[in-house]
Amino acid sequence: MAGQGMERRDVLKMLATASIASQFSGFSRWSFGWQHPAHNLSQIKAAKYAPRFFTPAEYAIVERLADLIIPSDGTPGAGEAGVSEFIDFMVWSDPTLQYSFRSGLTWLDAHSRSRHGSNWVGLDPARQAEILTALAYSAHYRPAEEEGRRFFRLFRDYTVMGFYTSQIGLEQLDYPGLKVYSESPACPHQDDPEHRRLKEPGA
Amino acid sequence: MTRKVYDVIVIGTGAGGGMAIKTLCDAGLKVCALNAGRRLDPAKDFRNHRMPYEMKYRGFGDPRKRSLSYGYMDNEYVEGVWEHEITYTTGPGTEWMWPRCYAVGGKTNFWGRSSARFSDIDFKAATLDGFDTDWPVTYQEIEPYYGRVERMIGVASTVQNRPSNPDGVYLPAFKFRCLDHILESGAAKVGVPYLPDRIAQLTKDHEGHPACHYCGNCTEGCDTGSFFSTPWFFLPNAEKSGNLELRTNALAKNILVDGRGQARGVAYIDRRTRKEVEVHGRAVVVAASCVESTRIMLNSKSRHWPNGIANSSGQLGKNLCDHLYGNAARGFLPQLLGQPSFPDNVSSSTIAWMPRWQNLTNPKEEKFIRGYSVYPGGGCGGFPWYHGDIEGFGSAFKREIKRRYPTPVSFTIQAPTLRSEDNYVDIDPEVKDAYGIPVIRVHFRWHQNTMLMWDHAKHVCAEVLKAAGGEYTGAAEQPEPPGFSLHETGTCRMGADPRTSVTNKFGQTHDVSNLYVCDASVFSNCTDKTTTLSIMAFTLRSCEHLVEGLRGRLNKTKED
Repeated sequence: MAGQGMERRDVLKMLATASIASQFSGFSRWSFGWQHPAHNLSQIKAAKYAPRFFTPAEYAIVERLADLIIPSDGTPGAGEAGVSEFIDFMVWSDPTLQYSFRSGLTWLDAHSRSRHGSNWVGLDPARQAEILTALAYSAHYRPAEEEGRRFFRLFRDYTVMGFYTSQIGLEQLDYPGLKVYSESPACPHQDDPEHRRLKEPGA
Repeated sequence: MTRKVYDVIVIGTGAGGGMAIKTLCDAGLKVCALNAGRRLDPAKDFRNHRMPYEMKYRGFGDPRKRSLSYGYMDNEYVEGVWEHEITYTTGPGTEWMWPRCYAVGGKTNFWGRSSARFSDIDFKAATLDGFDTDWPVTYQEIEPYYGRVERMIGVASTVQNRPSNPDGVYLPAFKFRCLDHILESGAAKVGVPYLPDRIAQLTKDHEGHPACHYCGNCTEGCDTGSFFSTPWFFLPNAEKSGNLELRTNALAKNILVDGRGQARGVAYIDRRTRKEVEVHGRAVVVAASCVESTRIMLNSKSRHWPNGIANSSGQLGKNLCDHLYGNAARGFLPQLLGQPSFPDNVSSSTIAWMPRWQNLTNPKEEKFIRGYSVYPGGGCGGFPWYHGDIEGFGSAFKREIKRRYPTPVSFTIQAPTLRSEDNYVDIDPEVKDAYGIPVIRVHFRWHQNTMLMWDHAKHVCAEVLKAAGGEYTGAAEQPEPPGFSLHETGTCRMGADPRTSVTNKFGQTHDVSNLYVCDASVFSNCTDKTTTLSIMAFTLRSCEHLVEGLRGRLNKTKED
């Protein structure tokens, strides 16, 4: 069994369930996220997506969280790739996820209220990010936020999953697989096997 | 109407069964092959060239069916070929994760393709370190069969001059990627080997099969037949010869015996009609894979064989071994940060290997006996699985995922177990499958010797990564569960002594001269090497022995 792609193995462990149905009715951005080339996305007007699992209030948090984790910042982000729809479908499809997501969103709102007097989406962008920073970076960890950190990691996993299985995400990585090569691709730096002289582009 | 009697009934169409079918049909014998699952059309069934977003469930399959799944391979790329209806059970405390492909060709459709020869360090291991027993063969005896198999299937590698890993007949090797050159330098500093793997994947056109196109999704099945599998390489010619009748959805139940206890055929369930059918032959080859063959034999009870056919030794089902798999180290190669994407996932992870380097000159040099191998891999894969090692969110996080895309590496260990009294299979006395056949029950756990290898590998692989200038980010907390490697061996082990083994060195059972076992269940011990190439080499030899035997009997009958 040597040769099982580690990435797929890890992905499946992380998910333990299927992801999005491309023919699934009700998707707007998610389904056309792969049906159309990325450069046409701006010309397509998204229909309003009706979430299957999350309440409208919860779904507003899901959308905003996904946007902040993988933003649209010159290249398309989670919003363009319909990641929030993907997450809604995933959680709707998998009852074992539902408690963690729902209670995590509840924690986030309660936590925001106690710190800043408003639910999380109601905060200004700087405060939204401040809340997440304490959950996402070990240097900023605060005591008694373990539940929030756990939820953020879970949510980020599904955001990454949704984004990098989309056409937009794979194009951003410039995924080189599933193409036809005429010979075994070889390292192009034969004069520098340890790659000591290789410069990072743009660095 | 006279009953049709085939020359040989072959159970299974994977590495062992496929090789048996080819050998027997080439010799002009009439073969009836039984396969427990459906026929598989690689061109139609394999979806390896689809992007995840081109599949209904993004490649992962229907979530409603996932609870039935045995593991990661059972996905949307190859729907309907992994077995769910036929179950197995486990003894107390046993975890056994065991995806099984019953479709024609079995696991050869998806195998990892690593194809190292065994050597005398494996066959004579007991002589070297005093544990257990040697194989009843020498490398010299089996060497010609390895060469013939390598020519048939096409193996890419280099001559490496390591007695523990004998060299074979090779196609040009896969070229090293950037990550290989960097890790190779680290391995050199640590003093461990880093070499091109032996991989059954065509780097040039071979025997009518097209060269690989390096798309990288081999594990989902190859739609051009550019790596060896029996549906691409062996079965079409066997069917064209007119000597093969392949019966699909034929779930072998038990081996039939005559009044002397010799095999006279096989009883199977036709899964479409759910009726029991008998098929008769002058000899039977069991090649259903290690544990499945054992199930069939243990379920073959008769007046002659009250404990299962060919089990006078009581060894049938004992001596179960397996390969421990696990991610022994992972990290990043900063030298490659921000570099353009490169197709370095061209064959998943077996372009390079770190063949066993432990206990070679002194069999007791380490805290453990025997040894393990490691498969390094990495690079631009289909998914940024390394994202968990990057903190944060936002543009910096997104940029870092892209920046590190060419840099991730990981090391997969392949470590053998030693035989143990408490690792075995038996028939579950209470559970039957959907067709009323008693199911197999697995009893297995890792023991100290193997866990010492796991600890050793974690240490060495971290050293190699750091010596290569890499950033080490960790190892798996636990190895994969038993069963995961699909390399189970030993439950019909071969040996010179009929009191302590099930078959002789030709895979011919000691008790029943016209019953042969042709899969990894005959292996006398578990090595650091993968199983498929050796299954085929031993099967080729065993089936030529069977052909000679049948011809001898035929001539004798004529003379009478």
